[in-house]
Order: sequence, then C-alpha cells, then structure tokens
Amino acid sequence: MPVFLPVAGISISLPLLVGVGALIGFLSGLFGVGGGFLLTPILMLVGIPPTVAAASDSCQIIATSSSGTAAHSRMGNVDVKLGTVLLLGGLAGGAVGVRIIRVLLGLGDADLAIKLTYVIVLSGIGGYMFWESLTSLKRGALEMRVPHLARGRDILSRLPFQMDFPRSKVRHSVVIPLLLGGLVGVLAAIMGVGGGFIMIPMMVYLLWTPMHVAVGTSLFQILFTCAGVTFMQAQTNHTVDLLLALLLAAGSTIGVQVGARMSRLLRGDQLRILLALLVLLVTARMVFGLARTPRSLLRPADEHGGAGKMHLVRHVAVHRALPNTTRN
Amino acid sequence: MRPWKSLTVVAILLSGLAARAPAASPPEPVTMKVTPSVISMGTFYSGARVHVEGTVPQASDVIIDVRGPETIEVFNKVGRAGPIWVNTGKVSISGIPTLLLVFSTRPVHNCLCRSEIDRCELDAAAIKSKIKIEPRAMASEVVADEFLKLKYRQKSYQLANTGIQMEDPAEVGQHYTLDFIWPKNAAPGTYVVRVCACQGGNVEDSLEAPLKVVEVGFPAMIADLAKDRPATYGIISVVVAVLAGFGIDFITTRIFKKKISAH
Repeated sequence: MPVFLPVAGISISLPLLVGVGALIGFLSGLFGVGGGFLLTPILMLVGIPPTVAAASDSCQIIATSSSGTAAHSRMGNVDVKLGTVLLLGGLAGGAVGVRIIRVLLGLGDADLAIKLTYVIVLSGIGGYMFWESLTSLKRGALEMRVPHLARGRDILSRLPFQMDFPRSKVRHSVVIPLLLGGLVGVLAAIMGVGGGFIMIPMMVYLLWTPMHVAVGTSLFQILFTCAGVTFMQAQTNHTVDLLLALLLAAGSTIGVQVGARMSRLLRGDQLRILLALLVLLVTARMVFGLARTPRSLLRPADEHGGAGKMHLVRHVAVHRALPNTTRN
Repeated sequence: MRPWKSLTVVAILLSGLAARAPAASPPEPVTMKVTPSVISMGTFYSGARVHVEGTVPQASDVIIDVRGPETIEVFNKVGRAGPIWVNTGKVSISGIPTLLLVFSTRPVHNCLCRSEIDRCELDAAAIKSKIKIEPRAMASEVVADEFLKLKYRQKSYQLANTGIQMEDPAEVGQHYTLDFIWPKNAAPGTYVVRVCACQGGNVEDSLEAPLKVVEVGFPAMIADLAKDRPATYGIISVVVAVLAGFGIDFITTRIFKKKISAH
C-alpha cells in the first residue's frame, strides 16, 4: 500500500516505513539511542532525499524518545537532574558544532571530515565498549564499574561544584557532565545525529552511571535536543516531512516499548556488548562506503543541509505553467 | 449535330466535372488529447497511467515527448584520494529538463535527421550537447555521462523509442495512441506533452499540451503549511510527535497491564 510523502515529494510503501520505524524503535528502547545514525542511511537507501531524511528523523525521534522516556521513567531509569545538566552542555556544544560545520563547509570537503569523524569516534567507542564488555562477561560480573577508570575518580572528586545525582547513585563535579554534554553536542552537530550512541558509553564509562539509568536519561536528553533540531529544520530548511515522521513513529513507538521491556531482561554488560557490536557494524559499513567505488561520480550537494533540491524544482515548475494547448 | 455544338456540350460537361472535383486538400491537422490532463497527488498516490491519443497526417511517424522545466542542479564530483573516494569539487548542471520521456513509432534516428533530433532534443546526444556545466574547468564528457546515468537510474529520463500504437489510416489522418506510466517520484508542477508528426526526416507539424501534477488533500495541506508557515509547522511537528509518543506509551501500557492482569 503506497503513501505519498508531501515534503519529500515521493510515493513509498506504507508497511515498509512502519517496519523500519519499528526496528529503529526497538533498538532505541533497548539501547537508549535515538537511532538517527541508523535511520538516516536506511531512509536514503529507500529513496528519501537526504535533507528530508535527516530532518524527519529528528521529528520521529521526538515521538520515540518521549515514548521511551515515559516507559523508562516508570521503571526509575531517568535521572532528570543529570539529564538536565547534560542537556545544557549539549546545547552549548551543539552551537559550537554548528560553527565548526560552517568553517568546514567554507574550507571545502565537510563531507569527508564528517565521515572520518564518524569512523574515528564510532570505532573508538565501539572497540573499547566491546573489549570492556567481553572482559566483563568473561568474569561474570553483574554490573561492572570499569575498575581501571575508577582510579581517575580520586582526581575528579577534587574538582569544584560537586553534586549528588541520587538516581544514578553517583557524586561528581557538575563540570564533568557539562563538558561531556558539550563534547557530545559538538560531535552530534558535526555528525548530524542526536548523539545517544556517543552519550551512553560516555555516561557509563566517565560518569559511572548504571547502564539502565544511562539509557533512560539519554532518551530524556535526546527528546529535548531533537525538539530543538526539528523546529530549526522546519523553519530554516522546510525539510521536515510530518507524515513520514508520524509513520516512522507509529512503528518506532511500539518498537521502543518492546525494546525498553527487553532491556530489563538483559544484564548491563550484555546490553553494552550488543550496542558495541551495532556501533562497530555501522563503522564497518562507513569504512566500506568510503573505500567502495561509488555508483555515480556525482552526489547531490545538499546531503548535509541547505534547502532541498525538490523545492527548487517545484518552484521553477510552477513558474513555467502553460495555460493551454499550443501549436508550434 | 454540328461539330461546334458537340464541342460546346463536351466543354460544359468537363467544366461541370471540374467544378465537382475536390480542390487540393489542406494538410491534415495534428490533434492530441492527454488523459488525465491533471494528475492529483493524494495521500495514497503512487504514480498514474497516462493516455495520449490523436491524429497525424497519413504516412507520418509520430514522436511524443514529455518534459519538465529546466532547473539548476548542484552536485559534488567524487574522485579517488588514496584508498577512499572524496569530493573533488562542486559542479552545477543546467540547461536541460528535469524530466524527459520520449516515445516514438520507430527509433527516433529512423524518423528524423540529426539536425531535427538536436533541435527537438530527443536523444542522449542532443541532451548532452545542451548540458551546461559550471565551473567550465570541471566540464567534461564524463560529468555529462554520469549526470545522464543518474537521470536514467532515477527514471527521470526514459528514451523508449517505442510505445506508440498506430491504427489503420482513416479518412482524416491516422490515429495514434500511447499509454505510459507517469514516474511516481516526479515533482509537482506543469509538464509539457508534445506530439510531432515526422515525414522525410523532418518535423512537419507539432502540438503541445500541458500536463499538470498537483498535490491535493492532506499532502497539499502539509506541503503548503511547511512552505508558507514554517514556524507554525515546526511547532505543530514537535507537539504532534510528543503527543504521538506519549499516546502510544499510554496505549501500550494499558495493553501490557491487561495482559499481566489476565495472567
């Protein structure tokens, strides 16, 4: 059954969109990631213009993360205090990231810089998380707290503005989550995603937040980040397709509920190793994409922002309207 | 009867016959009817079947082309740098239609001479000669070929060289019909359908008609809101998404609770 997407300007299978949404929602509920880093490439693969795919992703992530936040909140997995501090840092970092993107665009190949950032960040995080989780699984630990990093706790505990985060059962300087949120914000802006897949490992390994709380808190923070991004994309680029977002959300909000419940059946280290594998898989796909001979030597130039090509076509078409049949 | 009388009678009869004989007939006109003339893109739109029919002068070949407006498209040109493929610069491509569908009774090069094909832009070579590539330093055969390949893959360009059915000659001209599937991903706008009657390698006559593709109903409402009131649209998008998320959470929570209580 086809459905016509008004902003993307294309017709696409309705079950396909709902199914893709359900898969991404499931991963989102399970790991606390927004899913943008997986969904945007999938949507581009099924023919959605890149700018519309990225902007509509943000909109559907709002639905997924609000559903996921509600589910995790009932299970006591959302640290609102920590989430708010991370969000403030993330907003500041996001603003810096947008400026960096502007500089990169001015220099020329922002596309390559973005892809290389993806590969470096994802392989680093995925590799470390995989190694650590494997070690933890081998030891049979229930909820390992990364002992060798705990040595750094003494140093961090001497920093000013110490604050208690009772839900996460940790105490550390407010500067740390602010900086962490800022760093994730910069990376998220450069990479064009919500940043959950960077945020969760950072929260677990640097803020010592329990994995389940990290998942719930990450969704809480992503909800607000994506709300801001969606509004800005709609206002600046006119690339948010609400119908596309709602169809994806119809699948993803159900998927996220199943994922959130399944996350309670798995131990923290099991969740971490699954997320690590997912991150490494995405990295491998990106490396393959960089090395593989492209199908075409021309790529649409608006993949990372700017007004959609479709709108230009539509604008010109309207102004060339022919009144009647004409003979030459 | 005297000879001059016989001659007079013959002359009168001949002049009467001459008066009754038809005058040199005017050229048969080209006609065309496109159905539907407006394609509506509603919520469940998935392309459309377009029917074109009409008449052309007898013994003509028929070429029908459908074309979109010209626009400027900007691309990154990709090149190899060591083990990876990177963007080597931006190219702007213009001067050719966004959509081009060509149908004919016989291959176009059998119906028209080269200069007419070029003038009417009816094959890949003619299109390539019209492509404008900026900056000029980047302009090359490779870029033009890659652009056309991209268009064929997107199904925006279809040079079928067949598809038109001709019926037996009628009293007034020859009847033709064409049925084709409208590309479902073509943008809304006004496209031009042109029929050309070809004889002796030239276009003897042609006729154009508009084919409008318009969004209607819910898609039209969303597209207009997104374009005309972006801030309102942005707020609505956020609010609807949040409500959808919490709504689904509420429903699924009820379902799971019912299942648990049933156990």
